[in-house]
Amino acid sequence: MDKEEWMRKAAQCVMDGDEDGAVELANRYLEAGLNPVEMIEEGLSEGIRKLGNLFDRGEIFLPQLIVASDAMTAAIKVLEQALPKEKKGRKLAKVVLGTIEGDLHDIGKGIVATMLRVYGFDVYDLGRDVPIAKFVEKAKEVDADVVGSSALMTSTQVGQKYLEKALREAGLREKVKTMVGGAATTEHWAKKIGADLHGEDASETVMKLKKIFG
Amino acid sequence: MGMPMAHGLASGIGGIRTAGDLVAWMQMTRKMRINDAKAYVAAKLKVSPTDLSDPFVMRDVREELDIGIITAVPGCAKGIEARARIAELLGIEINCVTRLRKKMKF
Amino acid sequence: MRKYLTRRGDGGRIEMEADEIIRDIEQGTQDAAERGKIARLSKSDTEHLMDIFTNPNRIVGVEPGREVVLTDDIGPFRLIIDQGNSAVGISLGNVQAIQIHERGYGMDTTTFAHFDASFKAVKPVLANVLQEFENALLNTIIPIYFCCMPNLGAYYMPDGPFPNPSDLMPIGKIKEALESQEKTVERATNDMIYISEALASIGCDGVNFDTVGAAGDGDFLATLRAVEHVKKNTNLSVQVGMASEFVLGLHGGLEYSGKRLAGMYPHQQVKVVEKAGADIFGPVVNTKSTKSVPWNLARAVTFCKACSEASNIPVHPNVGMGVGGVPMFETPPPDVVCRVSKALVEIGKADGL
Repeated sequence: MDKEEWMRKAAQCVMDGDEDGAVELANRYLEAGLNPVEMIEEGLSEGIRKLGNLFDRGEIFLPQLIVASDAMTAAIKVLEQALPKEKKGRKLAKVVLGTIEGDLHDIGKGIVATMLRVYGFDVYDLGRDVPIAKFVEKAKEVDADVVGSSALMTSTQVGQKYLEKALREAGLREKVKTMVGGAATTEHWAKKIGADLHGEDASETVMKLKKIFG
Repeated sequence: MGMPMAHGLASGIGGIRTAGDLVAWMQMTRKMRINDAKAYVAAKLKVSPTDLSDPFVMRDVREELDIGIITAVPGCAKGIEARARIAELLGIEINCVTRLRKKMKF
Repeated sequence: MRKYLTRRGDGGRIEMEADEIIRDIEQGTQDAAERGKIARLSKSDTEHLMDIFTNPNRIVGVEPGREVVLTDDIGPFRLIIDQGNSAVGISLGNVQAIQIHERGYGMDTTTFAHFDASFKAVKPVLANVLQEFENALLNTIIPIYFCCMPNLGAYYMPDGPFPNPSDLMPIGKIKEALESQEKTVERATNDMIYISEALASIGCDGVNFDTVGAAGDGDFLATLRAVEHVKKNTNLSVQVGMASEFVLGLHGGLEYSGKRLAGMYPHQQVKVVEKAGADIFGPVVNTKSTKSVPWNLARAVTFCKACSEASNIPVHPNVGMGVGGVPMFETPPPDVVCRVSKALVEIGKADGL
């Protein structure tokens, strides 16, 4: 099988949510002595990218995305055996995520959390109505790379401004990238409060973070 | 109110200033598309569909039919009284009017 | 080269040359056509849209005789409180605010709602809602909707009784996540029916099921089932207003009348809403804040036109903050709001807004 064929099959296993198929393919790939990093980045990830695009258009749905992600994770576990020690279990970045205090909406934030995990981020989802102090506490505890908050209402988005302040006061602001999302937020709002990123939707959020972290 | 007022000025019929509420009733009670709803109301009021959004025409029409006008002239129908007259004029059921009628049968 | 003033999707002012405007219009309609698998706007439609954007006047409007009905989902709250959406904090009672809408602003219809406008939150305070609504009905002429959100998210833990699918799915409990959604659909449907029947008993004009689909396809299914019951058993008028341009597939397998709900776009959503018996449908097209208003509006008009052409019931596209081409900004500028109005009526074939 040439490289293109290996990658195509790997992507297809992920798109089909075929965990057994993905594991079998990964084993055969390793037996063939080929580069496991390439299969992860060009084969399996390509499948997830395509599915992410379909999910964004409403052509596939969340359970399918998660099943696909499970297939990918299972294949990666096999391929990791051949990876150098420092690359094993490597996550792209640690992301602390939550819906800002006073806001109970979490459907969109939950989808962002799922998509980030699917794409290889280590996500600490704090849930909804999360006090500012809890964001800061968790970011310290896990040594977060990103702190993301969601706000669906114009009355609660002001909490995102207070979060920026709280991170500065805790001496964390320079260490993390901050990200805002939710229906009430825009790029303009992110700039206004000093947040690093704005994610219009789950796909854009993943794309922007991947640009920074790999 | 800036946003709804902008929409209202740009494309709204004009509520009880004109015939906006009447056309709305036809959409709500008979699922009429906009042109059909306007044609129906215009026929009932004996005006043209274009007149329905003209305050100059509709002020007099509404006052003559006593179906509620935007300036609260004493004696002109308001509230449920206007609703009752609208229901009869348009041949539709307005729920609170029907409820009142049932309650009036002692 | 002459530049025209317009705005971005976040409300910021920009200048664009004619070529740039037409490019954004073409790309916006193409995006909608690809996503929804619907027709792009025709050449005459894009030219019409171009005329709207290159009109040098601040305010534009529909041609006389083409005015439409305005319905709304916020009503008195835009004056009284901020429940998350651009209100101005005047101390007023609900009935007074409704009368201001009728007599101060000349609205065609208006809305009454509870402060937390979700069906689950209304249930324990229903008597208070009914009392005020009765007063409003006696003292107003224009139709008043009771506006409420299915908001199935409120039924999930920690605030509700059912396990949260967003917590279950990441740990591989897909089956449990789907079952939880199915049980939530049942409970939410019953609550919506209970409240609607109570509203019917006091002579309410109609119910506006708002932000339908916000919690995914389960949210949509619960609404359709409730609407079906309400239309068969009461005289309430029903409007269904969506939350998003496509139905999010949090479950993926839920169907109504043999059609899978997840992934539906407005021209498909309206057919099941029609089947359920609703009187008016309100499609939503989400504004992308980083794109221009010409891009966003072309996209919104494309979706809405397809929806209107497929529909047998009146279509009232949502044109509030951040939807229908209106910028995502608390006080959307009137220069673009009126252009949205004109475009959706004259090109998008809206029966109302």
